[in-house]
Amino acid sequence: MSDTVALSLPVRSELLVLARITAATMASRADFDIEEIEDLRLAVDELCLSVVGGARSGTVRLEFSVDEATIAITCELDQSGEPDDGDVPGEPDDLSIRLIEALVDEHGRDSANGRRRAWLSKRRSRVEH
Amino acid sequence: MTDDARRPTVPRERWVEFATSRDERLRDELVTEHIGLARRLAHRFANRGEPYDDLVQVGSIALIKAVDRFDPDRGVEFTTYATGTVIGELKRHFRDKGWAVRAPRRIQELYLELGHTIDALSQELGRPPTVPELAESIGVSQDAILEAIEAGQGYRSSSIDAPGQRDETLADRLGANDSEVAMVDERSVLAPALAALPERQQEVVRLRFVEGLTQSEIAARVGISQMHVSRLLAQSLARIRENLAQER
Repeated sequence: MSDTVALSLPVRSELLVLARITAATMASRADFDIEEIEDLRLAVDELCLSVVGGARSGTVRLEFSVDEATIAITCELDQSGEPDDGDVPGEPDDLSIRLIEALVDEHGRDSANGRRRAWLSKRRSRVEH
Repeated sequence: MTDDARRPTVPRERWVEFATSRDERLRDELVTEHIGLARRLAHRFANRGEPYDDLVQVGSIALIKAVDRFDPDRGVEFTTYATGTVIGELKRHFRDKGWAVRAPRRIQELYLELGHTIDALSQELGRPPTVPELAESIGVSQDAILEAIEAGQGYRSSSIDAPGQRDETLADRLGANDSEVAMVDERSVLAPALAALPERQQEVVRLRFVEGLTQSEIAARVGISQMHVSRLLAQSLARIRENLAQER
């Protein structure tokens, strides 16, 4: 079974809750244990932060996919429709990267067409129930 | 102040030496060199309803544990290993203590019960439980469990934000504007520079970096707008940097 869910959010800090809830709900459905879900919630915060940073405008696009025992999340910041007013995300915080490193199995980041993107994936430890 | 001065790298040989000698002095050095990491991680959790000082304490104890347990042969960087250990302890602390200020009573109670049930089921199963297992054990829906987790580690700042103060960035909310936290850690160096600031700026800097409040929280506390807090902080830090630069 493979499921993909996409979220598109204006850059507003109070909407981050939707990313956490989506991640937690999908991980729970895929039989991740509660510790792994809590790790994932923290990692999603940091993933978004590492892409959005201090930006105040734009759209965050998140894609969550679950495949067997792995959940993968990508996060992209799109500022293409925004006036060029110097509102930039800034460099990702090294603590964010370190946190993601400690919380998930794989992660990475790149930048294409001026859009910043970061992704992570986490496998559940439990084999089968 | 460079990055290197804040976070000295620790050569692998020292970890290997500590793993065999367990030398107390070396241990203290290793702990001291990484205490900034524990503080920064604690700061990351500071908007979630628990006093910053408590979090720093929890984080520091976890760091000591990490130094004691770190195995240099496992092929993991110490900072990665320590980050995992410190977050683990902070999460546990929240599970035992913390919940969102505004969560409905029903959710608060469920969150507390959740903490006990996670511990009990982990014992029983020999692994952390899943959400369906928790829901069945407590007798509520899976959605309720997920709701309680979210509410339980809710972010305090949102409850205090005055209407119209929507300028908070993700970084503000997650307590991530901490590049200066490490700097303010070195209070002996900074004390004179801080004392040279006007009173209100001193207060704002103290609230931000010593008490770990967000800009919005400071705004509510001091009775000015968040944008004003942001400006005061920027001015204060610029002046501190100037003062420090002059002393060199």
